[in-house]
Amino acid sequence: MAVNYDDIEVGNKMPVYTSAPITRTHLVRYAGASGDFNPLHHDETFIKMIGSKNVIAHGMLIMGIVGEAITSWIENKYLRRFNTRFLSMTEPADLDDMENTKDRATIIVSGEVVKKYEENGEKRILCDIIAQDALGSKKLSGFFIAALP
Amino acid sequence: MADKSKLGMEFPAYTFTVEKDKIIEFAIAVSQKENKEQINPIYYDEEAAKKAGYQGIPVPPTFPTCTFFWTGGGLVALTKTLGIDINKLLHREEEYEYFGSISAGDVITRKMKVIDVLKKGNGNKSVEVTVLETDLINQRGELVLKSRTRLLER
Repeated sequence: MAVNYDDIEVGNKMPVYTSAPITRTHLVRYAGASGDFNPLHHDETFIKMIGSKNVIAHGMLIMGIVGEAITSWIENKYLRRFNTRFLSMTEPADLDDMENTKDRATIIVSGEVVKKYEENGEKRILCDIIAQDALGSKKLSGFFIAALP
Repeated sequence: MADKSKLGMEFPAYTFTVEKDKIIEFAIAVSQKENKEQINPIYYDEEAAKKAGYQGIPVPPTFPTCTFFWTGGGLVALTKTLGIDINKLLHREEEYEYFGSISAGDVITRKMKVIDVLKKGNGNKSVEVTVLETDLINQRGELVLKSRTRLLER
């Protein structure tokens, strides 16, 4: 359903978006789609070599999930600006221990409209966004600006 | 260590065609789906995209970052060029400004330059910061997107 400028009030919340638990397969798929082949995201032998415990998700996969969250609410074509700061790393869920690892790999995106204004002849909203895992650890924070009909 | 002499450096311009199937692959990846029938039709069906008010099949909001990896020898070569140790690389911040649409079939020229190289913090806790600015210009010469990427070296 299309969101109109007049329907939005400052303080309105963006619909909460919950990702599927991120698995290593999601990381490999994102690596192939984006071209980001940093071994940090898929190669366990590299992880051992640098003294870490687990591969970690691409920050840009988390931002991509946030983009998906936003465009599930506000259509892609209305986006004017999108900014995120990466705050912590995300380890994927382990298939042999989903019960204990899925929460660290589940991304929950929320947001709040903090400003309505006119700019460049457009009616725009500024919405703060936060992504955190199901344990409450913050993954990224940022904002987007959209021009609405 | 990030190399201060790189400040102002411009990477060679890179021109590429926005491939329809790469858009589908990317849209599946960020929505954590298995096949295209599960994603938003605007990312694979031109009619659906036009009906929804797009000029053609659009790209997902974070798709433009792929251009960083598709050129200049990919991530390993790019970090080497910037003087950043890939083992210490952290992506700190990403920002996009959307000025126009990017659609499947567009021929986009990417221009990327280093707009800041700085040191933050003191002693053992200091980090090197490199900021890249990327312009994407379409086949009609229109600036359709500007992005800023902040990379840290731990």
